[in-house]
Amino acid sequence: MGVPLFAAFKNIGKERIGGIWSEVFIECGNVMKEQHIDAGEAWRMAIESKGVNIPLNESDWQELSDFGEMLGKSDRHNQESILDLEKENLEMMESKAKEAMNTKGKLYKNLGALSGAAAVILLI
Amino acid sequence: MQGKDRIEGFNKLLSTYLPDRIKKAVSGIKDEYINELEEIRVRSGLPLMGVFSGADYFIGAEGYLSQNPQYALNITEKEVNTLFLLLCEQSIYAYQDDIIRGFVTLKGGHRAGICGTVVYEGDNIKAIKDISSINIRFSRQIKGCACNVFHQLIRNRQDIYNTLILSPPRCGKTTVLRDLCRLISQGNDSNKFEGLRTAVVDERSELAASFRGVPQNDLGPRTDVLDGCRKSQGIEMMLRGMAPQVIIVDELGATGDVDAVKMAWNAGVRIIATAHAFGLEDFKRRLGVGQLAAKDGFERIVILGMDNGKRWAKVMDENGNELSVLAQNNRMSYGLYGERSYGNHSVNQARRETACYIKAHRNPP
Repeated sequence: MGVPLFAAFKNIGKERIGGIWSEVFIECGNVMKEQHIDAGEAWRMAIESKGVNIPLNESDWQELSDFGEMLGKSDRHNQESILDLEKENLEMMESKAKEAMNTKGKLYKNLGALSGAAAVILLI
Repeated sequence: MQGKDRIEGFNKLLSTYLPDRIKKAVSGIKDEYINELEEIRVRSGLPLMGVFSGADYFIGAEGYLSQNPQYALNITEKEVNTLFLLLCEQSIYAYQDDIIRGFVTLKGGHRAGICGTVVYEGDNIKAIKDISSINIRFSRQIKGCACNVFHQLIRNRQDIYNTLILSPPRCGKTTVLRDLCRLISQGNDSNKFEGLRTAVVDERSELAASFRGVPQNDLGPRTDVLDGCRKSQGIEMMLRGMAPQVIIVDELGATGDVDAVKMAWNAGVRIIATAHAFGLEDFKRRLGVGQLAAKDGFERIVILGMDNGKRWAKVMDENGNELSVLAQNNRMSYGLYGERSYGNHSVNQARRETACYIKAHRNPP
Protein backbone atom coordinates (compact mmCIF):
# COMPACT_ATOMS: atom_id res chain seq x y z
CA MET A 1 0.00 0.00 0.00
CA GLY A 2 1.44 3.37 -0.99
CA VAL A 3 1.30 6.61 0.91
CA PRO A 4 -2.15 8.22 0.59
CA LEU A 5 -2.37 11.85 -0.42
CA PHE A 6 -3.28 13.23 2.99
CA ALA A 7 -0.11 11.71 4.46
CA ALA A 8 1.99 12.79 1.46
CA PHE A 9 0.79 16.39 1.83
CA LYS A 10 1.58 16.38 5.55
CA ASN A 11 5.01 14.81 5.02
CA ILE A 12 5.89 17.40 2.37
CA GLY A 13 4.73 20.19 4.68
CA LYS A 14 6.81 18.90 7.56
CA GLU A 15 9.93 17.59 5.86
CA ARG A 16 10.27 18.52 2.22
CA ILE A 17 9.23 22.11 1.89
CA GLY A 18 9.84 25.08 4.09
CA GLY A 19 8.58 28.58 4.47
CA ILE A 20 5.08 29.72 3.73
CA TRP A 21 4.03 26.67 1.70
CA SER A 22 4.67 24.34 4.59
CA GLU A 23 1.49 25.38 6.39
CA VAL A 24 -0.58 25.08 3.22
CA PHE A 25 0.52 21.49 2.64
CA ILE A 26 -0.02 20.46 6.27
CA GLU A 27 -3.45 22.09 6.30
CA CYS A 28 -4.38 20.35 3.04
CA GLY A 29 -3.38 16.97 4.51
CA ASN A 30 -5.33 17.64 7.69
CA VAL A 31 -8.46 18.72 5.83
CA MET A 32 -8.34 15.63 3.61
CA LYS A 33 -7.91 13.32 6.58
CA GLU A 34 -10.55 14.87 8.79
CA GLN A 35 -13.23 15.73 6.26
CA HIS A 36 -12.74 12.84 3.81
CA ILE A 37 -12.80 15.21 0.84
CA ASP A 38 -10.78 15.02 -2.36
CA ALA A 39 -7.43 16.69 -2.92
CA GLY A 40 -8.82 19.42 -5.20
CA GLU A 41 -11.31 20.67 -2.64
CA ALA A 42 -8.87 20.28 0.26
CA TRP A 43 -6.18 22.20 -1.65
CA ARG A 44 -8.53 25.09 -2.37
CA MET A 45 -9.59 25.22 1.30
CA ALA A 46 -5.97 25.12 2.43
CA ILE A 47 -4.79 27.97 0.21
CA GLU A 48 -7.81 30.02 1.22
CA SER A 49 -7.07 29.59 4.91
CA LYS A 50 -3.26 29.39 5.01
CA GLY A 51 -2.11 30.96 1.76
CA VAL A 52 -3.38 34.48 2.24
CA ASN A 53 0.09 35.90 2.82
CA ILE A 54 1.74 34.28 -0.17
CA PRO A 55 2.62 37.00 -2.70
CA LEU A 56 1.05 35.73 -5.92
CA ASN A 57 -1.13 37.53 -8.42
CA GLU A 58 -4.68 36.64 -9.38
CA SER A 59 -3.84 34.56 -12.46
CA ASP A 60 -1.22 32.59 -10.50
CA TRP A 61 -3.81 31.81 -7.83
CA GLN A 62 -6.22 30.72 -10.52
CA GLU A 63 -3.64 28.29 -11.87
CA LEU A 64 -2.74 27.01 -8.43
CA SER A 65 -6.32 26.47 -7.30
CA ASP A 66 -6.61 23.63 -9.82
CA PHE A 67 -3.38 22.02 -8.61
CA GLY A 68 -5.00 19.19 -6.65
CA GLU A 69 -8.00 18.60 -8.88
CA MET A 70 -6.79 15.42 -10.57
CA LEU A 71 -4.63 14.11 -7.74
CA GLY A 72 -5.55 10.74 -6.28
CA LYS A 73 -8.15 9.90 -8.89
CA SER A 74 -6.21 7.47 -11.04
CA ASP A 75 -3.43 4.88 -10.96
CA ARG A 76 0.22 5.60 -10.34
CA HIS A 77 1.21 5.83 -14.00
CA ASN A 78 -1.51 8.36 -14.73
CA GLN A 79 -0.72 10.33 -11.59
CA GLU A 80 2.92 10.61 -12.63
CA SER A 81 1.87 12.07 -15.97
CA ILE A 82 -0.43 14.56 -14.23
CA LEU A 83 2.33 15.63 -11.87
CA ASP A 84 4.84 15.97 -14.72
CA LEU A 85 2.40 18.27 -16.46
CA GLU A 86 1.79 20.19 -13.26
CA LYS A 87 5.51 20.55 -12.74
CA GLU A 88 6.00 21.93 -16.27
CA ASN A 89 3.18 24.35 -15.67
CA LEU A 90 4.72 25.58 -12.42
CA GLU A 91 8.13 25.91 -14.03
CA MET A 92 6.61 28.07 -16.75
CA MET A 93 4.99 30.24 -14.11
CA GLU A 94 8.31 30.40 -12.31
CA SER A 95 10.19 31.53 -15.41
CA LYS A 96 7.59 34.20 -16.12
CA ALA A 97 7.96 35.40 -12.56
CA LYS A 98 11.73 35.47 -12.95
CA GLU A 99 11.35 37.77 -15.96
CA ALA A 100 9.39 40.14 -13.81
CA MET A 101 11.83 39.73 -10.95
CA ASN A 102 12.27 43.40 -10.29
CA THR A 103 8.67 43.86 -9.35
CA LYS A 104 7.99 40.41 -7.80
CA GLY A 105 11.30 39.61 -6.19
CA LYS A 106 10.16 36.80 -3.91
CA LEU A 107 7.56 35.24 -6.12
CA TYR A 108 9.63 32.86 -8.24
CA LYS A 109 11.14 31.31 -5.14
CA ASN A 110 7.66 30.39 -3.93
CA LEU A 111 6.69 28.80 -7.22
CA GLY A 112 10.00 27.00 -7.47
CA ALA A 113 9.44 25.38 -4.09
CA LEU A 114 5.95 24.33 -5.13
CA SER A 115 7.08 22.70 -8.36
CA GLY A 116 9.63 20.73 -6.34
CA ALA A 117 6.84 19.55 -4.07
CA ALA A 118 4.76 18.42 -7.03
CA ALA A 119 7.57 16.13 -8.06
CA VAL A 120 7.85 14.38 -4.71
CA ILE A 121 4.17 13.78 -3.90
CA LEU A 122 4.21 10.26 -5.28
CA LEU A 123 7.76 9.49 -4.31
CA ILE A 124 7.33 9.51 -0.54
CA MET B 1 -19.06 -7.09 24.23
CA GLN B 2 -18.56 -8.47 20.78
CA GLY B 3 -21.89 -7.01 19.62
CA LYS B 4 -21.19 -3.59 21.11
CA ASP B 5 -17.69 -3.50 19.64
CA ARG B 6 -19.07 -4.53 16.30
CA ILE B 7 -21.63 -1.72 16.26
CA GLU B 8 -18.99 0.82 17.29
CA GLY B 9 -16.68 -0.42 14.55
CA PHE B 10 -19.53 -0.37 12.12
CA ASN B 11 -20.46 3.23 12.96
CA LYS B 12 -16.85 4.27 12.47
CA LEU B 13 -16.86 2.57 9.11
CA LEU B 14 -20.06 4.34 8.13
CA SER B 15 -18.76 7.79 9.01
CA THR B 16 -15.44 7.25 7.27
CA TYR B 17 -16.35 5.59 4.03
CA LEU B 18 -19.97 5.82 2.97
CA PRO B 19 -21.42 8.60 0.79
CA ASP B 20 -24.29 10.52 2.43
CA ARG B 21 -27.38 8.77 1.05
CA ILE B 22 -25.93 5.29 1.57
CA LYS B 23 -24.77 6.28 5.05
CA LYS B 24 -28.29 7.47 5.93
CA ALA B 25 -29.85 4.26 4.62
CA VAL B 26 -27.47 1.92 6.39
CA SER B 27 -27.46 3.86 9.65
CA GLY B 28 -31.28 3.54 9.64
CA ILE B 29 -30.98 -0.21 10.15
CA LYS B 30 -31.50 -1.12 13.80
CA ASP B 31 -28.48 -2.19 15.85
CA GLU B 32 -29.73 -5.74 16.38
CA TYR B 33 -29.99 -6.25 12.64
CA ILE B 34 -26.64 -4.64 12.07
CA ASN B 35 -25.31 -7.59 14.10
CA GLU B 36 -26.54 -9.86 11.34
CA LEU B 37 -25.19 -7.69 8.51
CA GLU B 38 -22.36 -9.42 6.67
CA GLU B 39 -22.08 -7.41 3.48
CA ILE B 40 -23.24 -4.17 1.88
CA ARG B 41 -23.47 -4.41 -1.90
CA VAL B 42 -23.37 -1.16 -3.84
CA ARG B 43 -23.99 -1.41 -7.58
CA SER B 44 -24.18 1.42 -10.08
CA GLY B 45 -27.78 1.96 -11.24
CA LEU B 46 -29.11 -0.83 -9.01
CA PRO B 47 -30.76 -1.04 -5.58
CA LEU B 48 -28.68 -0.98 -2.38
CA MET B 49 -28.48 -4.47 -0.92
CA GLY B 50 -27.32 -6.04 2.31
CA VAL B 51 -26.54 -9.64 3.15
CA PHE B 52 -27.97 -10.50 6.59
CA SER B 53 -26.83 -13.88 7.91
CA GLY B 54 -26.50 -15.16 4.39
CA ALA B 55 -29.85 -13.80 3.17
CA ASP B 56 -30.15 -10.93 0.68
CA TYR B 57 -32.32 -7.93 1.54
CA PHE B 58 -32.64 -4.62 -0.26
CA ILE B 59 -32.17 -1.53 1.88
CA GLY B 60 -34.49 1.46 1.64
CA ALA B 61 -33.49 5.11 1.92
CA GLU B 62 -34.41 5.17 5.64
CA GLY B 63 -33.02 1.75 6.46
CA TYR B 64 -36.09 -0.46 6.01
CA LEU B 65 -35.40 -3.90 4.61
CA SER B 66 -37.29 -5.65 1.87
CA GLN B 67 -36.96 -8.52 -0.53
CA ASN B 68 -38.59 -6.31 -3.13
CA PRO B 69 -35.97 -4.14 -4.86
CA GLN B 70 -38.52 -1.50 -5.85
CA TYR B 71 -38.53 -0.09 -2.29
CA ALA B 72 -34.74 0.14 -2.09
CA LEU B 73 -32.43 3.09 -2.48
CA ASN B 74 -31.18 3.19 -6.05
CA ILE B 75 -27.45 3.82 -6.31
CA THR B 76 -26.04 6.26 -8.84
CA GLU B 77 -22.80 5.91 -10.79
CA LYS B 78 -21.48 8.99 -9.00
CA GLU B 79 -22.11 7.39 -5.60
CA VAL B 80 -20.16 4.28 -6.59
CA ASN B 81 -17.25 6.47 -7.72
CA THR B 82 -17.40 8.55 -4.53
CA LEU B 83 -17.47 5.40 -2.40
CA PHE B 84 -14.50 3.99 -4.30
CA LEU B 85 -12.48 7.16 -3.72
CA LEU B 86 -13.41 7.20 -0.03
CA LEU B 87 -12.39 3.55 0.36
CA CYS B 88 -9.04 4.44 -1.24
CA GLU B 89 -8.63 7.48 1.02
CA GLN B 90 -8.89 9.70 -2.09
CA SER B 91 -5.67 8.09 -3.33
CA ILE B 92 -6.33 5.37 -5.88
CA TYR B 93 -2.63 5.07 -6.77
CA ALA B 94 -1.82 4.18 -3.13
CA TYR B 95 -4.19 1.19 -3.23
CA GLN B 96 -3.22 0.08 -6.73
CA ASP B 97 -1.67 -3.21 -5.62
CA ASP B 98 -4.83 -4.10 -3.69
CA ILE B 99 -7.12 -2.96 -6.50
CA ILE B 100 -5.56 -5.22 -9.10
CA ARG B 101 -6.13 -8.12 -6.71
CA GLY B 102 -9.82 -7.19 -6.68
CA PHE B 103 -10.24 -5.79 -3.19
CA VAL B 104 -9.23 -3.04 -0.81
CA THR B 105 -8.52 -3.82 2.86
CA LEU B 106 -10.03 -1.28 5.22
CA LYS B 107 -9.16 -0.25 8.72
CA GLY B 108 -10.78 -2.66 11.17
CA GLY B 109 -10.10 -5.65 8.95
CA HIS B 110 -13.11 -5.06 6.72
CA ARG B 111 -12.70 -5.58 3.02
CA ALA B 112 -14.22 -4.03 -0.09
CA GLY B 113 -14.39 -6.19 -3.20
CA ILE B 114 -14.54 -4.25 -6.44
CA CYS B 115 -15.74 -4.85 -10.00
CA GLY B 116 -15.27 -2.71 -13.07
CA THR B 117 -13.38 -2.78 -16.34
CA VAL B 118 -10.11 -4.66 -16.12
CA VAL B 119 -7.08 -3.19 -17.93
CA TYR B 120 -4.33 -5.63 -18.91
CA GLU B 121 -0.65 -5.01 -19.56
CA GLY B 122 0.66 -8.16 -21.20
CA ASP B 123 -0.67 -11.04 -19.12
CA ASN B 124 -0.99 -9.03 -15.94
CA ILE B 125 -3.83 -6.90 -14.67
CA LYS B 126 -2.64 -3.31 -14.65
CA ALA B 127 -5.72 -1.59 -13.27
CA ILE B 128 -9.47 -1.78 -12.77
CA LYS B 129 -11.27 1.32 -14.01
CA ASP B 130 -14.91 2.41 -14.33
CA ILE B 131 -15.86 0.79 -11.04
CA SER B 132 -19.40 -0.59 -11.25
CA SER B 133 -19.87 -2.63 -8.05
CA ILE B 134 -18.45 -2.58 -4.55
CA ASN B 135 -19.06 -5.23 -1.92
CA ILE B 136 -18.13 -4.17 1.60
CA ARG B 137 -17.62 -7.32 3.66
CA PHE B 138 -17.57 -6.90 7.41
CA SER B 139 -14.80 -8.62 9.24
CA ARG B 140 -15.80 -10.78 12.16
CA GLN B 141 -13.25 -12.56 14.22
CA ILE B 142 -15.03 -15.19 16.29
CA LYS B 143 -12.78 -15.85 19.23
CA GLY B 144 -13.22 -19.32 20.65
CA CYS B 145 -14.79 -20.81 17.54
CA ALA B 146 -11.88 -23.25 17.10
CA CYS B 147 -11.46 -24.29 20.75
CA ASN B 148 -12.85 -27.80 20.38
CA VAL B 149 -10.97 -28.45 17.15
CA PHE B 150 -7.79 -27.14 18.77
CA HIS B 151 -7.94 -29.77 21.54
CA GLN B 152 -7.66 -32.47 18.89
CA LEU B 153 -4.57 -30.95 17.32
CA ILE B 154 -2.31 -30.86 20.37
CA ARG B 155 0.53 -33.44 20.24
CA ASN B 156 2.00 -32.47 23.61
CA ARG B 157 2.40 -29.33 25.68
CA GLN B 158 4.99 -27.91 23.28
CA ASP B 159 3.93 -29.35 19.96
CA ILE B 160 0.97 -29.68 17.63
CA TYR B 161 0.14 -31.89 14.67
CA ASN B 162 0.60 -30.74 11.07
CA THR B 163 -3.00 -29.98 10.22
CA LEU B 164 -5.00 -29.47 7.05
CA ILE B 165 -8.46 -27.89 7.18
CA LEU B 166 -10.69 -28.74 4.23
CA SER B 167 -14.11 -27.45 3.20
CA PRO B 168 -16.07 -26.01 0.31
CA PRO B 169 -16.21 -22.18 0.16
CA ARG B 170 -18.17 -20.27 2.87
CA CYS B 171 -17.99 -23.03 5.48
CA GLY B 172 -15.69 -21.09 7.79
CA LYS B 173 -12.18 -22.37 6.98
CA THR B 174 -10.49 -19.01 7.34
CA THR B 175 -12.45 -18.14 10.50
CA VAL B 176 -11.42 -21.41 12.15
CA LEU B 177 -7.81 -21.06 10.95
CA ARG B 178 -7.62 -17.53 12.35
CA ASP B 179 -8.81 -18.71 15.76
CA LEU B 180 -6.47 -21.70 15.72
CA CYS B 181 -3.59 -19.31 15.07
CA ARG B 182 -4.58 -17.24 18.10
CA LEU B 183 -4.90 -20.33 20.31
CA ILE B 184 -1.59 -21.85 19.19
CA SER B 185 0.21 -18.55 19.67
CA GLN B 186 -1.17 -17.70 23.10
CA GLY B 187 -1.20 -21.18 24.60
CA ASN B 188 -3.92 -22.64 26.73
CA ASP B 189 -3.82 -23.27 30.49
CA SER B 190 -6.60 -25.84 30.52
CA ASN B 191 -4.74 -27.96 27.97
CA LYS B 192 -1.39 -27.20 29.57
CA PHE B 193 -0.33 -26.15 26.11
CA GLU B 194 2.47 -23.61 25.93
CA GLY B 195 2.19 -21.05 23.21
CA LEU B 196 4.35 -21.46 20.12
CA ARG B 197 6.13 -18.96 17.90
CA THR B 198 3.71 -18.69 15.00
CA ALA B 199 4.31 -17.25 11.54
CA VAL B 200 1.42 -16.34 9.27
CA VAL B 201 1.94 -16.01 5.52
CA ASP B 202 -1.16 -13.98 4.74
CA GLU B 203 -1.21 -14.00 0.95
CA ARG B 204 -4.71 -12.58 0.61
CA SER B 205 -4.61 -10.42 3.76
CA GLU B 206 -7.59 -12.29 5.18
CA LEU B 207 -6.15 -13.83 8.33
CA ALA B 208 -4.58 -10.79 9.94
CA ALA B 209 -6.41 -8.24 7.76
CA SER B 210 -3.40 -5.95 8.09
CA PHE B 211 -4.00 -2.27 7.48
CA ARG B 212 -0.79 -0.29 6.94
CA GLY B 213 1.18 -3.12 8.51
CA VAL B 214 -0.94 -3.43 11.63
CA PRO B 215 -2.95 -6.68 11.98
CA GLN B 216 -6.59 -5.82 12.62
CA ASN B 217 -7.36 -9.27 14.01
CA ASP B 218 -5.94 -10.82 17.17
CA LEU B 219 -3.65 -13.64 16.06
CA GLY B 220 -1.96 -14.12 19.42
CA PRO B 221 1.09 -12.68 21.17
CA ARG B 222 3.74 -14.86 19.49
CA THR B 223 2.59 -14.27 15.92
CA ASP B 224 4.49 -12.64 13.07
CA VAL B 225 2.61 -11.77 9.88
CA LEU B 226 4.00 -11.61 6.35
CA ASP B 227 1.25 -9.77 4.51
CA GLY B 228 0.41 -10.03 0.80
CA CYS B 229 3.22 -12.52 0.10
CA ARG B 230 2.88 -15.67 -2.00
CA LYS B 231 2.82 -18.78 0.20
CA SER B 232 5.68 -20.47 -1.63
CA GLN B 233 7.98 -17.48 -1.10
CA GLY B 234 6.61 -16.48 2.28
CA ILE B 235 7.16 -19.88 3.90
CA GLU B 236 10.82 -19.81 2.87
CA MET B 237 11.25 -16.23 4.05
CA MET B 238 9.69 -17.04 7.41
CA LEU B 239 11.90 -20.12 7.84
CA ARG B 240 15.03 -18.11 7.13
CA GLY B 241 14.20 -15.00 9.03
CA MET B 242 11.77 -15.59 11.87
CA ALA B 243 12.56 -19.06 13.28
CA PRO B 244 8.91 -20.05 13.72
CA GLN B 245 7.68 -23.24 15.37
CA VAL B 246 4.44 -23.18 13.40
CA ILE B 247 3.60 -21.65 10.02
CA ILE B 248 0.00 -20.87 9.13
CA VAL B 249 -1.23 -20.45 5.55
CA ASP B 250 -4.66 -20.15 3.98
CA GLU B 251 -5.77 -21.92 0.81
CA LEU B 252 -3.01 -24.20 -0.39
CA GLY B 253 -3.34 -24.91 -4.08
CA ALA B 254 -0.52 -23.47 -6.22
CA THR B 255 2.10 -25.90 -7.47
CA GLY B 256 4.89 -24.07 -5.64
CA ASP B 257 3.09 -24.55 -2.32
CA VAL B 258 4.03 -28.24 -2.14
CA ASP B 259 7.79 -27.68 -2.09
CA ALA B 260 7.44 -24.85 0.39
CA VAL B 261 5.39 -26.97 2.82
CA LYS B 262 7.87 -29.83 2.52
CA MET B 263 10.72 -27.41 3.15
CA ALA B 264 9.04 -26.36 6.41
CA TRP B 265 8.51 -29.98 7.45
CA ASN B 266 12.16 -30.77 6.72
CA ALA B 267 13.08 -27.89 9.01
CA GLY B 268 10.94 -29.37 11.80
CA VAL B 269 8.35 -26.61 11.56
CA ARG B 270 4.64 -27.49 11.80
CA ILE B 271 2.18 -26.34 9.16
CA ILE B 272 -1.46 -25.50 9.72
CA ALA B 273 -3.16 -24.88 6.38
CA THR B 274 -6.53 -24.78 4.66
CA ALA B 275 -7.62 -25.81 1.18
CA HIS B 276 -10.82 -25.86 -0.83
CA ALA B 277 -12.10 -29.44 -1.03
CA PHE B 278 -15.28 -31.38 -0.35
CA GLY B 279 -13.38 -34.04 1.58
CA LEU B 280 -10.06 -35.80 2.05
CA GLU B 281 -10.38 -37.98 -1.06
CA ASP B 282 -11.30 -34.93 -3.12
CA PHE B 283 -8.16 -33.16 -1.88
CA LYS B 284 -5.93 -36.18 -2.52
CA ARG B 285 -6.98 -36.15 -6.17
CA ARG B 286 -5.66 -32.60 -6.59
CA LEU B 287 -2.63 -32.35 -8.81
CA GLY B 288 0.41 -31.36 -6.78
CA VAL B 289 -0.99 -30.40 -3.39
CA GLY B 290 -2.93 -33.69 -3.09
CA GLN B 291 0.29 -35.49 -2.18
CA LEU B 292 0.52 -33.45 1.03
CA ALA B 293 -2.31 -35.52 2.49
CA ALA B 294 -0.54 -38.81 1.72
CA LYS B 295 1.64 -40.80 4.13
CA ASP B 296 4.17 -38.63 6.00
CA GLY B 297 2.08 -35.59 5.12
CA PHE B 298 -0.52 -33.80 7.24
CA GLU B 299 -1.22 -35.69 10.45
CA ARG B 300 -4.62 -34.24 11.25
CA ILE B 301 -7.35 -33.44 8.76
CA VAL B 302 -10.25 -31.20 9.76
CA ILE B 303 -13.25 -31.26 7.44
CA LEU B 304 -15.78 -28.44 7.78
CA GLY B 305 -19.22 -28.64 6.26
CA MET B 306 -22.77 -27.41 6.39
CA ASP B 307 -25.98 -29.44 6.11
CA ASN B 308 -29.36 -27.74 6.03
CA GLY B 309 -27.84 -24.61 7.48
CA LYS B 310 -26.05 -26.45 10.29
CA ARG B 311 -22.29 -26.37 10.49
CA TRP B 312 -20.24 -29.40 11.48
CA ALA B 313 -16.57 -30.26 11.84
CA LYS B 314 -14.92 -33.65 11.61
CA VAL B 315 -11.36 -34.30 12.83
CA MET B 316 -9.45 -37.25 11.34
CA ASP B 317 -5.98 -38.71 11.67
CA GLU B 318 -3.61 -39.14 8.74
CA ASN B 319 -5.21 -42.49 7.85
CA GLY B 320 -8.66 -40.98 7.58
CA ASN B 321 -9.88 -42.43 10.91
CA GLU B 322 -12.44 -40.17 12.55
CA LEU B 323 -11.32 -38.83 15.91
CA SER B 324 -14.37 -36.70 16.56
CA VAL B 325 -17.34 -35.07 14.93
CA LEU B 326 -18.40 -31.69 16.22
CA ALA B 327 -21.87 -30.51 15.32
CA GLN B 328 -23.73 -27.36 16.12
CA ASN B 329 -27.26 -26.13 16.54
CA ASN B 330 -27.38 -23.07 14.39
CA ARG B 331 -26.07 -21.88 11.08
CA MET B 332 -24.69 -18.66 12.47
CA SER B 333 -23.33 -19.66 15.86
CA TYR B 334 -20.36 -21.96 15.96
CA GLY B 335 -22.03 -24.26 18.47
CA LEU B 336 -19.55 -26.72 19.85
CA TYR B 337 -16.67 -24.73 18.47
CA GLY B 338 -17.61 -21.94 20.87
CA GLU B 339 -20.86 -20.03 21.20
CA ARG B 340 -20.94 -16.62 19.64
CA SER B 341 -23.09 -14.08 21.41
CA TYR B 342 -23.92 -10.43 21.11
CA GLY B 343 -24.21 -9.28 24.71
CA ASN B 344 -27.65 -10.34 25.90
CA HIS B 345 -28.90 -10.85 22.40
CA SER B 346 -28.69 -14.45 21.26
CA VAL B 347 -28.22 -15.16 17.61
CA ASN B 348 -31.51 -17.03 17.36
CA GLN B 349 -33.37 -14.17 18.98
CA ALA B 350 -31.71 -11.69 16.64
CA ARG B 351 -32.64 -13.81 13.65
CA ARG B 352 -36.26 -14.09 14.77
CA GLU B 353 -36.48 -10.35 15.32
CA THR B 354 -34.80 -9.66 12.01
CA ALA B 355 -37.47 -11.72 10.29
CA CYS B 356 -40.24 -9.84 12.16
CA TYR B 357 -38.66 -6.50 11.36
CA ILE B 358 -38.32 -7.34 7.72
CA LYS B 359 -41.93 -8.54 7.60
CA ALA B 360 -43.16 -5.39 9.32
CA HIS B 361 -41.25 -3.18 6.92
CA ARG B 362 -42.01 -5.08 3.78
CA ASN B 363 -44.37 -2.31 2.69
CA PRO B 364 -42.53 0.86 3.54
CA PRO B 365 -44.45 4.03 4.44
